[in-house]
Amino acid sequence: MNTLKSFALELGRLLQSRLTWLVLLLTVISPAAGLTLYKPAFAETMLSMYLANPALAGGAVSGILFGLLTIYELDRSSRSRADVLINAIVSPMRSGMVRMLALNAAAIIGLFLTMLIWLPITYAQAGTVLDMTNYCLAYMIFMGLALPCSILAAAACYQFTNRADLSVVLFAAFAGLSLTVWSDNWQLCWLNPCVWALSDDFTNFRIFRSAAYMRLMWLAALSGVWVLSWCCIRRYGKGILGSLLRSTRRIYRPVIALLLIACSGAAYAAQPIIDNSNPDETASAFLELPYLEGVVCTGRTAKVYPDTAKGTVTGTASYRFLNSSGQTQTVSFGINPGYTVSSVQVNGEDMPFSIGDYQEFNEALLEAEIPADENVELIVEYGGFPQESRNMSETQGSAEISDEYICLQNAELAPRIMNVMPDEGMYPAEIEITLPKGMTVIPFCASEASIVSEYENGTVTWRYEDNGAGGILYAGDYICEEIDAGGITIEFYYGRKHRSVMESAGAIDAVRAVVDYCTEHYGPLSFGMGDKLKLIQSRVTGGGYAGDGASLLDEADFTAANLGDPGKGAGSGEVMIHELVHQWWGLANMFDSSNETDPWSAEGLTVYTTYRIVKELYGEEYAKQYYIDQWQQETDDYYLNFYVRNPEYLEKLPEEKRLEVLGSLTHVRRYCEMPLKILKAEQLVGGEEAMDMILHELFNRELDPYYPYLTYQNFLDACELREEDLNLD
Amino acid sequence: MIKIFLYECKRLLLNKFFFGILFVLLFYGRQVLSGTTVLGVSHTAPFSAWSFGDYLSRMLPLLWIGTLFFLTFFTSAKARRASVLTDAVRTCPRRYAMARCAAAFSGTLLLSLVCLAEAAVFYGSYFGWYEWGQLIIPVLVTLLPALIFALGSGWLLGRIRPWLIYVWMIVPFLCMALPLPSVLGIWNGSFFTEYPLTVGSLDPAFSIPAPVIAAQCVLLICGVLLLMFTGKKIHN
Repeated sequence: MNTLKSFALELGRLLQSRLTWLVLLLTVISPAAGLTLYKPAFAETMLSMYLANPALAGGAVSGILFGLLTIYELDRSSRSRADVLINAIVSPMRSGMVRMLALNAAAIIGLFLTMLIWLPITYAQAGTVLDMTNYCLAYMIFMGLALPCSILAAAACYQFTNRADLSVVLFAAFAGLSLTVWSDNWQLCWLNPCVWALSDDFTNFRIFRSAAYMRLMWLAALSGVWVLSWCCIRRYGKGILGSLLRSTRRIYRPVIALLLIACSGAAYAAQPIIDNSNPDETASAFLELPYLEGVVCTGRTAKVYPDTAKGTVTGTASYRFLNSSGQTQTVSFGINPGYTVSSVQVNGEDMPFSIGDYQEFNEALLEAEIPADENVELIVEYGGFPQESRNMSETQGSAEISDEYICLQNAELAPRIMNVMPDEGMYPAEIEITLPKGMTVIPFCASEASIVSEYENGTVTWRYEDNGAGGILYAGDYICEEIDAGGITIEFYYGRKHRSVMESAGAIDAVRAVVDYCTEHYGPLSFGMGDKLKLIQSRVTGGGYAGDGASLLDEADFTAANLGDPGKGAGSGEVMIHELVHQWWGLANMFDSSNETDPWSAEGLTVYTTYRIVKELYGEEYAKQYYIDQWQQETDDYYLNFYVRNPEYLEKLPEEKRLEVLGSLTHVRRYCEMPLKILKAEQLVGGEEAMDMILHELFNRELDPYYPYLTYQNFLDACELREEDLNLD
Repeated sequence: MIKIFLYECKRLLLNKFFFGILFVLLFYGRQVLSGTTVLGVSHTAPFSAWSFGDYLSRMLPLLWIGTLFFLTFFTSAKARRASVLTDAVRTCPRRYAMARCAAAFSGTLLLSLVCLAEAAVFYGSYFGWYEWGQLIIPVLVTLLPALIFALGSGWLLGRIRPWLIYVWMIVPFLCMALPLPSVLGIWNGSFFTEYPLTVGSLDPAFSIPAPVIAAQCVLLICGVLLLMFTGKKIHN
């Protein structure tokens, strides 16, 4: 009887078992757990709630079920004491192989049934944002690949131990680790991929790639372990070692096992998704690089070619330097750690270069030497799959590159100059990017991009001018609406799919209200390149940022779910408010950011102002509940934290843990403690009106060109308060 | 009877299942201690009784499974076939069953001690903290009732239908997933993370409200009462 025939018989037998059908039934029901009990994707987009969570829950539950079914099935012949007879007819190794294949076939049937049944349910819940690509990829990667992993793991446990009880314990612990301790480690959580959000409006290929990579890595490892365990299947009355020696006489078996395990190990160590950035978020080794004496940058250009099918980027960046030092110098650039540099040319000649191993804030150090010539042109050819920061590995997806959405930030766009001063305060930059037709390019700065050439292959080259060592670029299927508010024009870019939600949410009115409020209370904004402000909707990122002339709006700010939830309706768009307020508090040189642990930062005044706007828009009770009470709670927790009260124990922790604790504490101090102090100052200076006048004066103060920052002392002086007056009880 | 007890202990402890679960417990415990317990719970120290209780509640499902698997040594089909012979021996069935339960309890006790020893080593090596006496009460409150109950209920279920023991293994996982009332908070560990915050003082001394003690006592008594049935034959 050949293996194929045995497989058909085994599958037929398996499908006649009531237990198999019970497992299949539970598998089909299992995504329901993602709507109620188990919701690892915490973003509030429709696809996170109604696609990612059910698929992830389905994967976890059905994975465990199929693992237990595997142990039950493998133990069947031994349990019924038929193993002696069966082994006399069919080789136990062939039985093991056939059972594993049959269980996997049953798992595929379960997955197919689940996808079939949940398609209309998901469509009814998520609405028109659901498309078949996201649906199929989510179920196949988040749920489907969990099943063979579980089957292989459980089968390996059984084949090694030859005991059902021990196999159940081993499998339970393996699954338990993934669901608990390893759940935040994107490479280790084999049963429940680290997925926090799926975008409704744009593509999700980056997070799918990451989850698929992790799953395939585990699949290779578990296949290797399974092959090894397969060789340990007890034969001829021998024990584990005897059977192993007997089975490995066919050398290809251990070779395949070891190759699979080695491949998996290599895939783990050399994963291309996440970089090795220093986990210490207060580190600033790159910021502290000394500027070169006698060298200035007079301009730069970059030609960028994203490959939207592969999610990669290639590009050529050119930098012009004026070297008046009369000697060779080493120029440093920050480059995305996922990129490789194919060549560095200086004045037309190839020059040696190096990329350091140390990484910080999603950048590696590229160093190249420039000659003593006065005018130097340095050209870098680079490319690769951009990696995301290790410190953000739990919230992946920001480096999405597809024909619907692209976000390239700083060193992802082109190598960022780190140790060369600009010429007369300017790094004039000209950026060209070639993208599929239909995508709108939006530089995250005041300038506008325009099409300079079109090609027959359906791509278009956009060009824009910028000023700076880095730069951020968004591109996607956007529509733009112009809003006049506060004496400026706001270009509001949002995804085409989001139009109906934006209209229902009254997003334009919300934007106008925020800008009018800030202009009235603190003064009008002024920009170097016209009175225009861009407000760009990104795909779901879990936050936002602001730059000179542009602010970011998170997709999750306005979702259909928020609109339908009266408890959240008033609060939708608060990240947008926060990021718009950053146009007043936090841009350019307003705050000295050299001390990463200083609680006084742009966030304090921004969060306080956001609270004031929310209070005006949605009422005092809402603002108190979602702002003051939450600041108070977080600040209380901060002061009560064991490691804050006993810093000597913090020093005893391993570095990674210490940095994790320190990072979360700094966040609380900036986003919660400082706004509370400003609120206390407001009460001490005589109320909101008095505070508004103080902030108006601070915003419009005369700047000291040598130290233009707004310091905490400036704030205290303006309030006529001392630092201890603002101590919280 | 001591001979039987020792023999059963040997059966349970000198086999690969015991060493396998020992390895799993040590590995899992290390992951919990260095990943979760190290941060402390409810503003308390990682070595406080509260954080330690949280660690124990996270280890409890595996200890529960281990205890029930020990019982499968006595309720499996193999054991039932052998019972034709053992039942023919002139020994009081109740005492014989008690000896077996005592052996299973010894195995559970050993596994628990390994978990405790691992935590002690962790606290000593990380924080130089050795005041282990403070941790006795959380151990007694968390592990003793649950594991005695696992033993009693598992024994009963195993004698009704051997496969029921396997179903019973899911219970701690269900407890972790379901929103239990606060009085049953020890069953899913929420007691250790939530109750200290309600005490109203910083680094509160370990204390347990009366309803929670009552719930644990009920669990313990139920376990003991169920063990009393051990001598009675329910199913052939």
